[in-house]
Amino acid sequence: MPELLSIKISRLFYANRHLISDIDLNVNKGERILIVGATGTGKSSLLNALNLMNQSYHGEILLDGKPITDFPPHILRSRIVMVMQEPWLGEGTVSDVLAEPLQYHALKKRDLGQRNQKISKLFEAFQLSDSYLHQQADQLSGGEKQRVALIRALQLNPEILLLDEISSALDQKTSGIISDCIFNNFPGTVIAISHDPLWQNRWQRSWTIESGTLKDNREVK
Amino acid sequence: MDISYLGLLFSMLLLVFPLFIFHQLKLKLSKQLMISFGRMIGQLALIGLWLQFLLDQEDYRLTLLWVVIMLVNAIITLRGRLKYKRRILFPVLFSALGIASLVVMPWILFMVVRPDPFFSAKFVIPIYGMVLGNSMNSCALALERFESGLSDNWKAYYTRISLGANIWEAALPQFRKAMHASLLPQLLTIASMGLVSLPGMMTGQILGGSSAMVAIKYQMMVMAAIFSAVSLADFVAIRLYLAKRFDKYYMPIKDIK
Repeated sequence: MPELLSIKISRLFYANRHLISDIDLNVNKGERILIVGATGTGKSSLLNALNLMNQSYHGEILLDGKPITDFPPHILRSRIVMVMQEPWLGEGTVSDVLAEPLQYHALKKRDLGQRNQKISKLFEAFQLSDSYLHQQADQLSGGEKQRVALIRALQLNPEILLLDEISSALDQKTSGIISDCIFNNFPGTVIAISHDPLWQNRWQRSWTIESGTLKDNREVK
Repeated sequence: MDISYLGLLFSMLLLVFPLFIFHQLKLKLSKQLMISFGRMIGQLALIGLWLQFLLDQEDYRLTLLWVVIMLVNAIITLRGRLKYKRRILFPVLFSALGIASLVVMPWILFMVVRPDPFFSAKFVIPIYGMVLGNSMNSCALALERFESGLSDNWKAYYTRISLGANIWEAALPQFRKAMHASLLPQLLTIASMGLVSLPGMMTGQILGGSSAMVAIKYQMMVMAAIFSAVSLADFVAIRLYLAKRFDKYYMPIKDIK
């Protein structure tokens, strides 16, 4: 598989606190990677470094051989899309929520294929009916909001999807639906943080962070 | 018709009514009233003498100097009123109020009033005072609303940039809200003008002996100038503040004081 991301970080920080040393990783296209480790070990700081939302590190991260700092941030983040732990959807209907990113300069010219069909498929996969499109986003439950947030990200065809503990506030059933859906419907690279055992059992590769070091385990499942 | 100094003194005697109310209610505002009116009398007396001197001289250099002093004073006052991120405010406010002034004032002087001599203190200073005062207040409101809108909605901001929004797109909703909050009261005031209140400039002109029609025309012109300057100043201030509030990766700069 062709290499997509190269991460060489000698020291990673959160604010001024040193978290992880000597990270040397390559990520290939289509890989599914799970980041595991105790709270405060630097999982989110590492994930945020990949889309320029954390610059507290010494080292270099390359996307397609080019330093990520050379990309305009919005272009980079339209290729490496992140879904956060607590989803924010904004005002309006679910349909409005899904349409908002399409207005962004970085995404205006992107070929999103047959978006409506894709959204319909994603709704079905995430076990949401099409009628949700007309519901007010602020009236959805936590699990429904998280699924809509994922559909909003997936419709953009990102090359890399970063998931920051998106299953932490969900019940086992919803978490399972989301995990299945990502595996079955997204061909791109996924790098996710999750404490859910259901997730940990099926990922092909994991990065375990412990005592300031990162261990790369392949073929986890 | 002029007011005699004795008449002016009688006008100040009107203050016995609020002082009596403060005394009855044991409201601790009497000292502040004395300070406020004392300062107002002192400041206006000095400014009155200075303005009279400027009007008598009719020297455009002195008028220009006074315009610059008014601008700097407005920025210092505004910077004092805004309690956050003060280090970045001076260039932001200087540009915002400066650009608004440079667009609106020449427009008014060249195309509308056409005073002779051109940079006549009699026209420039009162009109600029109104334009600048309103722009200053509006800028303060707009920047406060923008900053508090950002602070209350970081989750929205981070979500937008994590989906590929640029800084402008991510902050635009708060930009809109701040502009709306700042401009709507101005528009409502404009809409109520004449029916609910007679504006100060018009009242002053009528009391000063101008015809009501001349006073009305001046008032209309001044309202257009003020609203245009306010909109420009708010827009430029928030736009520049936005550029200084975030780093090149669109992340908020945390250590700005």
